[in-house]
Amino acid sequence: MLRILTALWTKEWLALSRDVHGLAVLFLMPAAFIVIMSLALSDAFKEGARVTDFAVLGSPKLGERLAGEGFRAVPAPADERHARDELRRGRLGLVVLLPAQYDGTGPVTVLADPALDALQLLAFRERLLGAALGIDLKRATNVSVEVIGSPRPARPSSVQQNVPAWLIFGMFFVVLPISALFIVERRDGTAARLRSQQVAFSLLLVGKIGPFFVINLLQTILMLAAGLTLVPWLGGEALSLPARWDLLAAVAACTSLAAIAWGLLVAVCARTLEQATVIGGVGNILAAALGGIMVPRFVMPATMQAVASLSPMAWALDGFHAVLLRQGSGSDIALPCAKLVALAAVLFAAAVWLQRRRG
Amino acid sequence: MGALSLRDLTFRYPGANDAALQGLTLDIPRGGVFGLLGPNGAGKTTLISLIAGQLRGASGDMLLDGAPLAEARRRAPRSLGLVPQEHAFYPMLTCRENLRFFGGVQGLGAARLAERVAAASAFARLEPVLERRAGELSGGLKRRLNFAIGLLTEPQVLLLDEPTVGVDAQSRAFLLERIRALAAPDRIVVYTSHYMEEVQAICDRVAIIDHGRVLLAGPLAEVLQDSARSLALRLSAPLPAALAAQWRARFDLREDGTLRYELRLGAPADLVQALQAAQAAGCEPLSIAYGERDLEQLFMRLTDRSLRD
Repeated sequence: MLRILTALWTKEWLALSRDVHGLAVLFLMPAAFIVIMSLALSDAFKEGARVTDFAVLGSPKLGERLAGEGFRAVPAPADERHARDELRRGRLGLVVLLPAQYDGTGPVTVLADPALDALQLLAFRERLLGAALGIDLKRATNVSVEVIGSPRPARPSSVQQNVPAWLIFGMFFVVLPISALFIVERRDGTAARLRSQQVAFSLLLVGKIGPFFVINLLQTILMLAAGLTLVPWLGGEALSLPARWDLLAAVAACTSLAAIAWGLLVAVCARTLEQATVIGGVGNILAAALGGIMVPRFVMPATMQAVASLSPMAWALDGFHAVLLRQGSGSDIALPCAKLVALAAVLFAAAVWLQRRRG
Repeated sequence: MGALSLRDLTFRYPGANDAALQGLTLDIPRGGVFGLLGPNGAGKTTLISLIAGQLRGASGDMLLDGAPLAEARRRAPRSLGLVPQEHAFYPMLTCRENLRFFGGVQGLGAARLAERVAAASAFARLEPVLERRAGELSGGLKRRLNFAIGLLTEPQVLLLDEPTVGVDAQSRAFLLERIRALAAPDRIVVYTSHYMEEVQAICDRVAIIDHGRVLLAGPLAEVLQDSARSLALRLSAPLPAALAAQWRARFDLREDGTLRYELRLGAPADLVQALQAAQAAGCEPLSIAYGERDLEQLFMRLTDRSLRD
């Protein structure tokens, strides 16, 4: 068994090492995306650069006075219900609710977008309470803040978003070299020859998992290195390292299993190289667009964020963010890792089943 | 019963209307080279694929020395070698890497693998190109690499599916000489080809199959002897209808519309009589073949001349 696997792994390595285009897709493409996107979006991810839209229900004048220093007043929604809707959809950051015929003595409520940074919330509250206000709030008993929805994780910086995002994108692109060689094997009769030599199909699949698992781990190391060295060298922010390397390795391993299993399923389904390129490539791009790789999920409206959470790339990104961004523990990566491994198992089983069905 | 015995094999591809093999029965003994002939779509490759284990789901029995073939292969997985029609190797790997890979997946240990790679490449005269990528080889060298891969485990059952397709005359002659050299008393060598002269040159026994059935099988000498009383004529003019009808009834006349006629004569005396009758009808014989039928004539007669694809 080990001899057979050694032969299969050696063959995959040799074939991949001579596939210049495949190597470029796996290593150069994600590295280029990491550098370009980290630098291009570095300002967009800074909190200070962000302007938060807010509205005041009951006092347009108050809205005008609160505007400035990162806060922009927009026309107020018709009522509180509409205001809550707007917040849920991410169209508004803050809404101040003043009681009807407010005389400056009652409580004031501020509805807040859960994605809003705590410092921004504090700053807004200070503005509301500050002396600059033209209405008398001095006798107000309190200003309560209600966050609409559950709090969202802290926002990543540009490099924190782009390194794991494009790493995941690159990892899923093993679909192309896996399916390309698989289809060549089928087309040229090599697969049939191996079948005549009684090499089990499941063993052939395992023979492909090993080398591409290593490739995915190599991608992880190299893309993290790009975030640590290349991006700051070119003027961007450096990636902060995780406290738990073992958790990072676990997330990378689970992502790799899902990516390889996806590649194997595409390899079995596609009959030609063109089909594999379309199914694998377009599938990856859609999953990336949906899963917060190309467009960070925190800028998506709530509905799109819910849809985005269906993408396996979003699960992988959750795992990487838990480790890289929030320095999380094992329990923080458990759910995304479990989802990825479950997906890998389903895709792998589907590939074996489909191949057996085709005989 | 032959060493490799195929009994009432029937196989239908999923979605196909007709069965590719329809109750095919054939005995293939050890020793010599067994030629498997048939037009395109006759079922040759299907049969080879079933024996090799590439296809499954046939009804009937495949026995090797009396035991089910699948069981025999489980006991000795390296006992069967296949040289398929396609260049079934990796073009991006060198010849040596290909040989090492296909030996490795059959479980050959390091020392044995090195020994067999050397032996197979020497047998197919691949030594000068061992370090060259397979995809860069000429057609003849690719065939030789394909051939060498099939020999890595010294199989007791060797299946050669049109191993000389698309090569020049020199490479073909070399491959045929090598295949002939593989014939051994304890080995089964099955050889399929479209080239009748190849089969006639290297095979000891033949089977002609068509529409998934065996039309004729036996030692080559006997097979050709069976048809020794056929007469092939090319005449200067078409046979008159009356004479043609008479010959059809008496000599199983076949004609192809190009003034070529085939007759099966009952006795040597019929030869003189037939030639005289043709001459009397104003049809001068332009060429005559009698006494020795080659395999191609027999093949065409048995499988009909109509195009198959």
